[in-house]
Amino acid sequence: MVAVTGRAAPWAARTWAALFIAPAVALVGALLVLPFLFTVYRSFFSDDGLSRSWVGLDNYATLVTDESFLRSLLNTGIWTVGTLLLPVLLGLVIAVATNSSGWGRFTRFAVVLPYALSGSVTAILWNFMLQTDGGVNEILGLLGLSSLEQPWLLEWPTNTFAMILATTWQATGANMILFLVGLQAIPTETIEAGRLDGAGGFRLLREVILPQLKPISIVVIGISLVGSLKTFDIVWLLTRGGPGTASETLALTMYRQTFTLSRYGYGAAVAVVLTVIVLAASWIYLRRQLRSDD
Amino acid sequence: MARRLRNALLVAVALLWLLPTYLVVVNAFTAADEYVGPRWWFTSFALFENISTAFATADIGQAMWNTFLYSAGSAFIAVVVAALASFAVVVMPVRRPVLWFWLIYAGTLLPLQVFLSPLFNAYAVTSLYDTQYGMVLIYAALAVPFAFFVVRNYLTTAPKEMREAAQLDGAGWFTMFLRIHLPLARGAMVAAFLFQFLATWNDLLFGITLSTSPNVRPLMAALAELNGQYSGLGPPVILAAGLVASIPTVVLFLSFQRFFVNALRLTP
Repeated sequence: MVAVTGRAAPWAARTWAALFIAPAVALVGALLVLPFLFTVYRSFFSDDGLSRSWVGLDNYATLVTDESFLRSLLNTGIWTVGTLLLPVLLGLVIAVATNSSGWGRFTRFAVVLPYALSGSVTAILWNFMLQTDGGVNEILGLLGLSSLEQPWLLEWPTNTFAMILATTWQATGANMILFLVGLQAIPTETIEAGRLDGAGGFRLLREVILPQLKPISIVVIGISLVGSLKTFDIVWLLTRGGPGTASETLALTMYRQTFTLSRYGYGAAVAVVLTVIVLAASWIYLRRQLRSDD
Repeated sequence: MARRLRNALLVAVALLWLLPTYLVVVNAFTAADEYVGPRWWFTSFALFENISTAFATADIGQAMWNTFLYSAGSAFIAVVVAALASFAVVVMPVRRPVLWFWLIYAGTLLPLQVFLSPLFNAYAVTSLYDTQYGMVLIYAALAVPFAFFVVRNYLTTAPKEMREAAQLDGAGWFTMFLRIHLPLARGAMVAAFLFQFLATWNDLLFGITLSTSPNVRPLMAALAELNGQYSGLGPPVILAAGLVASIPTVVLFLSFQRFFVNALRLTP
């Protein structure tokens, strides 16, 4: 690609380049790429950690009829839709509403603060809030809404929705920041021109502001999509996928099959399915977005 | 009128968002033996007793130190390794730079679960399982792709003339890297370091999979254990531990907000 000038002979330059690139390739290759390839390979075997036998696509065939896997797939779908609807949409609304407003700074701070917490700390906090004798039911009782009190984490699908709300609390701030970055990049002339044309309020938002937020929206939706498909920490800490396996996402199913049940081959098949979904989602989404940009 | 309504709504949203944090702080201050249900106001000042209970039972202090080592160590290794690779791919005459780029970058596209069980087996075989070296190693590997992405993107904006000028001066590759490109990419490297520091600090998955003893186990795994096995200690102790665990991330986040905004936009 680059013509070598000066005194260095090409082969010497290549040796140097190899030395520079080797540590990164070695780390990523040995600890990420090889394990990935091995997971794919292992998904074609029945493997309990002690003995391994080739079963071809049997693991995948079993998945299709495994009810707990299908439930886990459904949960992952609910998580994806839920985190696209709530944290992304709320992030957009709050960004638009707080951009250029005095009270906006206060709101922005309140919303962005939880983003600095880890998924585990968020889970600990919401474990306290969502227990049957926890904060949320306490608040409902104080507001005279005792009829709404319920065991938030003990029944499906209530627990999945409750956990999506907890994630919304944590993740909205990040989306809001990104949308604010996008809003601030919009040239004020376009908004003024819109105003001169008589557009105001929602029309201004829909016809002038939102179209210009498209590039940043692609980033936000992409991050949210991939993140929600990999949901693990909060579910692991709040319900362990329970009751039974009712609230498991694909990430938890893979973990339980592999490390609790020692079904390494089957767990690997779940991991491969998850990988295919993540890659397909990113690819389809990005391709569609890139094409509609033309 | 509409303006007032909007401001009232904004304040309501802010209060709604702060409510859980407020309740957590109040209840982390409540004495564990006085706790009978969520408190609304400070009734005792037992935060430090709660923290010391958490430190004593679940070894949170040791876990924090472990995590600090892993976060700082792995982020540092990853950033240096990524800077070297970025220099090679962008500046040096490598054959097929695109192939190398994807090989290194591919690590961030795959879900983490796909690495877990082979790593667990390989760690068991090589005696890296449940060791601090093992933890630093995996966190460093996980951090390389994104750090590489950030630093590489930054270096591609560096003018080519700088390289040619350095070559005319007779500088070797390594000198060129140290004198020109390393200082040039400093901002991108700091951003990548901070981002990966936090990512490692917040990790739960590899912590619970590749470690088990209190001397090795990272913070989030210890918190998970506190939340599960030691839940009998009561919410005040667990919440107090959660607050302590969040101090570093909240401080880092608030002091380097701009870095995070920039890094966030690049997250795959």
